[in-house]
Amino acid sequence: MADVRFNAETAQAIAASALRAQQGRMRIIAENLANANSTSKTKGGEPYRRQEPVFEPTPVAGGMGVRMARAQPDSSAFKTQYDPGNPSADASGYVKLPNVDPLIEALDMRDAQRAYEANLNVIDTARTMQMRTLDLLKK
Amino acid sequence: MDLADIPLFAMIRGKLGYLSERQKVIAENVANANTPGYKPRDLKPFSFQAQMQAQASGPSALAVTQPGHMAPPALAHAATAAKPVVSKDSETTLDGNSVVLEEEMLKMGQARADYDAAIGFYQKSLDLIRLAARAPGHG
Repeated sequence: MADVRFNAETAQAIAASALRAQQGRMRIIAENLANANSTSKTKGGEPYRRQEPVFEPTPVAGGMGVRMARAQPDSSAFKTQYDPGNPSADASGYVKLPNVDPLIEALDMRDAQRAYEANLNVIDTARTMQMRTLDLLKK
Repeated sequence: MDLADIPLFAMIRGKLGYLSERQKVIAENVANANTPGYKPRDLKPFSFQAQMQAQASGPSALAVTQPGHMAPPALAHAATAAKPVVSKDSETTLDGNSVVLEEEMLKMGQARADYDAAIGFYQKSLDLIRLAARAPGHG
């Protein structure tokens, strides 16, 4: 039953790669939320631009795992606010605010959490199946 | 004699191999639940009929008598190649991913229960062999 044991380990390696990828995604969400109010340091310059994680399949221990390929800048438009007293306001008194929407980040965070839990479930199940096989030795 | 020479054991082993392979495919699907454009895959259902036919009319295995001989390709693997699942448009996200986590969790639970059952059968069959091998009167 060599293939059985091998597959259980592959399944766990795949799920572990996904845990890593989801952790990376959480890190980017944290960056976005932390910089939700980071305006430009220079007059009229660009504020913080929201980052978006992009996943891609990657071979892991004989199966297809996943990894974060890159963090892609979100190209959506910045919000502007009239605030002439602000140091980062442009010539006409408008300040560009980051294109981070806390609601979207919160939803994304829930999604990452759900995916993380699903992968933990996979590891747990793979391990239980492996243990059941090993139980054959007990008798 | 190898236990796999007994059709019953060969069958249960085939089922165990299938289930752990399926578990691996499910792990891949769950890991890639957020990968753009990823289509979930699944194995063809394990069929008792097909296994029986393979047992009855299986091609005679090639013997490896020289170190230079190549091992014949694994037949079981060709039959259990993972195929992409066609899913409804309503289950496909905007980035082209059509993995439904709930469905994968359900399939995983099923695979785990089936695996437990197959291991149980294997155990019982081993007990039969043990019973037959026991010296009479040493109950």
